[in-house]
Amino acid sequence: MVKIVLVLIFWLTMLNADSFEKNCLECHTNKFQLSMFMKKYTLKFSSEKNIKKALFKYLKNPSYKKSVLPFGYLNKFGIKNETILDDDELKDMVDIYYDKFNVKSRIY
Amino acid sequence: MYKSEKKTIFNVLAIYLSSTLLLIATLFTSYYFYQQEQLIHNEKEILKTHSLELEDELLTLHQDSTENYKYPRFKNFKSAIYDVDKELIFSTLHEDVKSLDTEFFINNDKSYYILPIKPYYLGAAYMVIEKDTTPVDFLSDLIAIAIVVVLITIFTSLFLVKLVLKPLRENLHLLDNFIKDTTHELNTPITTILANIETLDTKNCDEKSLRKFQRIKIASLNISNLYQDLVYLLLNHKASFKNEDLNISNILNERVQYFTIMANAKKLAFDLNIQDDVVFYADKNKYERLIDNILSNSIKYTKKSTTITVNLTSSTLSMTDEGKGMTQNEIDSIYEKYRRFDNIQGGFGIGYSIIKSIADEYKIKIIIDSEINKGTKVTLKW
Repeated sequence: MVKIVLVLIFWLTMLNADSFEKNCLECHTNKFQLSMFMKKYTLKFSSEKNIKKALFKYLKNPSYKKSVLPFGYLNKFGIKNETILDDDELKDMVDIYYDKFNVKSRIY
Repeated sequence: MYKSEKKTIFNVLAIYLSSTLLLIATLFTSYYFYQQEQLIHNEKEILKTHSLELEDELLTLHQDSTENYKYPRFKNFKSAIYDVDKELIFSTLHEDVKSLDTEFFINNDKSYYILPIKPYYLGAAYMVIEKDTTPVDFLSDLIAIAIVVVLITIFTSLFLVKLVLKPLRENLHLLDNFIKDTTHELNTPITTILANIETLDTKNCDEKSLRKFQRIKIASLNISNLYQDLVYLLLNHKASFKNEDLNISNILNERVQYFTIMANAKKLAFDLNIQDDVVFYADKNKYERLIDNILSNSIKYTKKSTTITVNLTSSTLSMTDEGKGMTQNEIDSIYEKYRRFDNIQGGFGIGYSIIKSIADEYKIKIIIDSEINKGTKVTLKW
């Protein structure tokens, strides 16, 4: 029974990781860029709850106003398209993104 | 030192000292709180400087493009950062702070300063700075200074009170000396008068001369009585000191007899209820002074053609007159030396002072019940 649960957790993790690869890293190939975005969100929203909330809002309905990126950057690359993921999937992706790139866990 | 003088010194000292101590206490308390404020202000200033150092470091760190961030550590202070939801991000503090709502506080000899910051470098919305509290021990110094000031104030007060009362003391000494000299000069003539009165043959005197003779005798007795009181006072209550078992029933009868001539002059009657053979352990002269003074006062202050009631039991002696009575204020101050309520009557106002002194010596309680225009009852209880 324990083995089954462990295998299931591992499988789900792998599945999520795969989803993150597919849904995010396909376009955002540069991890430094993702790290920089997270720093921008941290600088503006501070806490995990606020960062995730702001990310979700932006990805659901991207706009210049909601973006944390500098004007020059937005002018050059524009804003991303509206997400095709459903709310649950998007929430999972935001969680994975925060877990992988948050600033707090990198302070020592 | 007289009782009234002591009372005056005590009252003046109490007023002067309490007002001065109140002033000193107010000044020192204000100074103490001012110093506390200064300490807090200084601590805050130091902590503010540290917070700026930390903010600079956080800014630099946030702008770093490194994979991980080494949290800044300082020699002279510790710090922590919290996010906007007051969740801890990182801390080097000795212990976590419980609340971020107080800007400054001291806990376990450590000073804490909490400062909100924006933008949120590394997510930090609050910085907490901790440093060892600067030890300032001014309270013990303050207490030491306060004790010295209070002592100086007490000595100054005593000096001032004595200075103010000096003229009064001098006058009282003058009065004492005058009485002393007068008493000394009275000794010989009184002895001569009394001795000669006793030997005078009154058998052949007509009624008119007999009345004159009686008046002379009463006056001589009065002077003799006064003389005895003055001697008692001047010799500091040590005129004689030989305690023994006294038959006070006999003594009382003798003294009433002694004052009969004076009582007759005012047409007074004695109502005597004297229990036989009541014994009291005391000095005979002193006990006679006690009785004489109460009795002579009763005779002096009672109205003409009234009755003086004398009761003696095994534990009480009371004498009741039908005089003009006394108010409660007069009763309260009756034992003060030279206190007189009626200037028409003679005397120095020392009678009750002597009564009190003898009564205290033999642990006799004095109870005075008086009613205006009805009379006074003096009871001795042992």
